[in-house]
Amino acid sequence: MKALKMEFFKCRRRRIWLPLLVMLAAQLAWGLYSLRALSERELQQGWAMILYNFPMLNAMMTPVIAAVVASRLADIEHKGQTLKLLETVQPTGSLFDAKLICGAAYMTGFLAVQMAVVLLFGICSGFAGNPPVTKLTEYFFSSLVTTLAILLLQLVLSLQIQNQMIGMIVGLIGSFIGLFSLFFPPSFQKAFVWAYYALLYNTGMAWDASTHISDYYFIDFNLSGFLCLIAYFLVIYGVGRVLFIRKEV
Amino acid sequence: MTQNLVETKGLCKSYGGALRVKNLHMQVPEGAIYGFLGPNGAGKSTTLKMILGLAHPTGGEIDVFGKRMNAKNRLDILKDIGSLIESPSYYGHLTGEENLKILQTLRKVPEQNIREALEIVRLTSQKDKQVAHYSLGMKQRLGLAAALLAHPRLLILDEPTNGLDPAGIQEMRELICDLPRRFGMTVLVSSHLLSEIDQMATHVGVIADGALVYQNTIDRLHEKSEHHLALRTLNNPLAQAILTHDGVINDLDADEIILPPLENEEVAHCVALLTDSGIGVLRIEERRKNLEDIFLELTEGAASL
Repeated sequence: MKALKMEFFKCRRRRIWLPLLVMLAAQLAWGLYSLRALSERELQQGWAMILYNFPMLNAMMTPVIAAVVASRLADIEHKGQTLKLLETVQPTGSLFDAKLICGAAYMTGFLAVQMAVVLLFGICSGFAGNPPVTKLTEYFFSSLVTTLAILLLQLVLSLQIQNQMIGMIVGLIGSFIGLFSLFFPPSFQKAFVWAYYALLYNTGMAWDASTHISDYYFIDFNLSGFLCLIAYFLVIYGVGRVLFIRKEV
Repeated sequence: MTQNLVETKGLCKSYGGALRVKNLHMQVPEGAIYGFLGPNGAGKSTTLKMILGLAHPTGGEIDVFGKRMNAKNRLDILKDIGSLIESPSYYGHLTGEENLKILQTLRKVPEQNIREALEIVRLTSQKDKQVAHYSLGMKQRLGLAAALLAHPRLLILDEPTNGLDPAGIQEMRELICDLPRRFGMTVLVSSHLLSEIDQMATHVGVIADGALVYQNTIDRLHEKSEHHLALRTLNNPLAQAILTHDGVINDLDADEIILPPLENEEVAHCVALLTDSGIGVLRIEERRKNLEDIFLELTEGAASL
């Protein structure tokens, strides 16, 4: 607990929330602008429509945000060469865990605000029916676990490699993979941690080429995909933690 | 008998197949300022990192405070050790006091230790300034304050004067020399500068090419420095022959005759002997092999092995 408290203490004056806020504003502006004037028919499908758009935006933007957060958390140690001091006063594994939880708190905050705005937007815009709590919860947790798995991967890289450009490049590549994974077959999607935003869609879209009209609808939650993602997370966590502990400073 | 606070037995470390620390037997007695001396790249930092558990030994054992160090008891042992390895560790965006606050919390020591440590290193007036704006000397002093925070029994300092200006070096040296007297600490300090160790240490270990080539008190090292007399005359070969004939041990070295340390009367006798033989005595000097020569002999010897 003390290690975690100190992790937040170290983030003083680092304004880690600033890039998160900027990206969130950009994401919300992009995601909600197209939904500002909906027809009656579209309002009927409003919740499904919005939950179809946001995973796509997450796939494009969240890997970069996770890379930035992980890089900032790791860079404060590399810059001042503090690991060789910290590792004499606290268990190396607890330092890794504290960094992960600290980064996870920022990313959870990011997704929670996004979720709240989506919810508020749906209610204010007059989307038909009550907010679909189950579907919104599924969306929130699938986005959260995917984001945390990406953050974890980025954190491992940023702690192992001093040059933070490497982590940032991986983040950018990840966001491309995330975007293009929408066109991957599901079995192929499972291989990439960035593709889980697409894999865990709980909405679908039917495009009618003759009328040029899209219909949005809810589909069953991909539980096996979600379990696979958790397994992915645990493997990255185990390997990353051991690598960090074994690393000589 | 004085207890050894640190004792390594056959300590080895290899990187990429090359042995960087070779079979090191180091003994740091309690209450000593142990100067760990060696040229750059000799293996000083690697050894100190192994003592702190930051690098894993390839072979050998490390005993600290009489306990065999391992992964399980490492942090327990380190509670009584303060360290400053290579350059100082700091968070530039935090103030000096905030930097110490992190360590104070993690080390679970009273908050007043921060104030005391800042006072010892004379940084109290700068405690609210962001460390990024500190000079290198101030950062180094902050590093020392961090090492002193938990009132450790043993302080490990790796090249603490590196990069400091002469005033900073003097200040750091005074601080280090003060610690055993004021707080009863044992200090293990590394340096590649002989003069620095000579001015601070009570004990010295010389490492060269990964091997410990000398270890004893600094006084014993001083005793190794040899006296001799250098004599220059107008005819050195003839002077040498006369002195040899008179039973004075000597050696002709380039343009001077080297004599062993002689009593005043013996020197006067030699001079009289030469002038009576018509050989003009130009100069007679007392010479002493300095510590630098000894250090070079020790380190070059090891390097050429």
